[in-house]
Amino acid sequence: MTKSRDPRTLPQALAEAAHAGKGYCFVQNGVDVPRPYGEIERAAFQVARSLRDAGLRRGDVVAIVLADAEQFLTTLFGASIAGVIPASLYPPSPTRDLQRYFELTANTLRAADARAVVTSSSLAPDFEALRGTCRRLSLVLVRDALDAAPIAPDRMPGLDDIAFVQYTSGSTSAPKGVALTHRNVCANVDAINGPSGVASSKGDVAVSWLPLNHDMGLVGMALGPLYCGLPGVILPPHLFVRRPAEWLRAMTRHRGTISFAPNFAFDLCLRRLKDRDLDGLDLSPWRIAGCGAEPVHAQTLAAFTEKFASVGFRASSLFPSYGLAEHVLAATFPPRGRPPVAETVSLDDLNRLRLARPATDEHNTVTIVSCGRPFPGHAVRIVDESGRPLGEREVGEITLNGPSVMLGYYRQEALTAQTIRDGWLHTGDLGYLSGGELFVCGREKDIIIANGRKYHPQDLEWAVDDLAGVRRGRVVAFGDAKPGRADRVVIVVEPNGTVPGAALTDSIRRQVSDLFGLYVDEVALVPSGTVGRTTSGKVQRAATRARYHELRADGPAGEAAGG
Amino acid sequence: MPPASAPIENGVIDALKTVSRRPIEPTLESDLVADLGFDSLQVLELIAELEDRFDISIPLNDVPATRTVAQVVAQVAELVGSRTERSTP
Repeated sequence: MTKSRDPRTLPQALAEAAHAGKGYCFVQNGVDVPRPYGEIERAAFQVARSLRDAGLRRGDVVAIVLADAEQFLTTLFGASIAGVIPASLYPPSPTRDLQRYFELTANTLRAADARAVVTSSSLAPDFEALRGTCRRLSLVLVRDALDAAPIAPDRMPGLDDIAFVQYTSGSTSAPKGVALTHRNVCANVDAINGPSGVASSKGDVAVSWLPLNHDMGLVGMALGPLYCGLPGVILPPHLFVRRPAEWLRAMTRHRGTISFAPNFAFDLCLRRLKDRDLDGLDLSPWRIAGCGAEPVHAQTLAAFTEKFASVGFRASSLFPSYGLAEHVLAATFPPRGRPPVAETVSLDDLNRLRLARPATDEHNTVTIVSCGRPFPGHAVRIVDESGRPLGEREVGEITLNGPSVMLGYYRQEALTAQTIRDGWLHTGDLGYLSGGELFVCGREKDIIIANGRKYHPQDLEWAVDDLAGVRRGRVVAFGDAKPGRADRVVIVVEPNGTVPGAALTDSIRRQVSDLFGLYVDEVALVPSGTVGRTTSGKVQRAATRARYHELRADGPAGEAAGG
Repeated sequence: MPPASAPIENGVIDALKTVSRRPIEPTLESDLVADLGFDSLQVLELIAELEDRFDISIPLNDVPATRTVAQVVAQVAELVGSRTERSTP
């Protein structure tokens, strides 16, 4: 379906898909459970009716906290049909501390001004308990009970209404909810499916294990197939993480042609699949192996191709791409059928001159993979700090323009105004253009990316600030993003001398792991005065980070290259 | 805690080394996070690796309380023990 299409709202796209006859297939407890789009629509009508019956009105925010893919999708569609604003929040991870999870989630519910939560029966009592601190939260609804008679709604949302708000991670500081209109979502999904994207056509099958509270999981792998009436197979994320082979088995079983995942997923398959796991796999139908949501590593892609070539995987299927939730999902795609193109550039020129020049010797270089070009009707511009557009191969902030740029951060006007200027979305990512293609090489914004998820440094700082042995307010966290590899999480702390260094380092790592499931690669205990503060008392993250790098540069060479 | 046999201890340590992306030398006292650098994803990987090696099923609810290698070894020993009891008539 490569012809250009009129914009559709989510309920309209669902109605069309229901008519076309295909559907989702949810892998539940190892069994494929097919659910035609018509059934999904019917369940969504039930949810819509139940939400209305519960007293929810147009414009009310309904938080969705559901790990089950089918329940999540039918609730999202139902909320949209009912005219309320669905806000997607992360469900708790089974390996993490629940109490901490609810502290973070309460904060997100307050920021979203949520009137209702739809969740599982097991989590409902915990949400009930949050009502004391979340004043606006008046309803905790159990998904299983949203089973009113399915009645087609009277008033459907318009294209410029909010389709959903996506909270990218739990946050103690300032939860950021990406608000997208139906027009935004449709523009991006149609671009992804269109001739400059993956060129979806009859016979395509999307297969995904990505969580649906992630932009790539929801927009790319669930709405993507639905908007063009193709089948979508959805596995639970935990199944993939524990048994990565299940992803490739599902690809084989369903003759999957399209699947996207972050770099770490390809890496996990390399590390965890043994030779015997390759028995019976057939990856030859896989024509779009999308890789994005975090920096793409050339070595990972090459090793993946080598390992799975014997079961039909081709380098020309690899599809390294760039995007972010604030741009619905995708921003640039490479040409289809081309093996990844990478450039090896001098790291010195990149860092000092902000210029990407081909490396002349083999030392101190970095290999960066091309993420391709923007879609028709969309634009990419690289700009310097003052917003001036830069030339070919000059490194600056990646900015994006076009119909996929989000409406804004929900109920965060100042932050939205900072992020979208004159219609250009400032991504905070660093990159350069070469021959019209985008090469992503780092990050300007204070965001840490690990395993495809984003973390706000301020949250880590606040978590560490409370610990014994830490000088209050003298903590800075950042992701040491180097092109071509995963972020190193660094926390710079001024100790107050009451706790020995090794014990302090341990307790900092423990705290961050408990709260965020994240390993701190380096705890740098620094002398008083290293962590700068602004006159208004905020930590100077950039200045502290620069000082940290100066300290590291003076240290042993092996140390500076570690990670 | 039931006493863990040497094969279980060695198997757990070997599994830790397989899953870790850094060179590590785990001891029974090592803390998974503070000493060995495991993040939440790697903890799940570790569980899968242990389940494969020992043919057991590890309940995820117990995971947040598990801190040290000794605790992992004890838990595996217990699960292996109950598996053996079940399969012995």
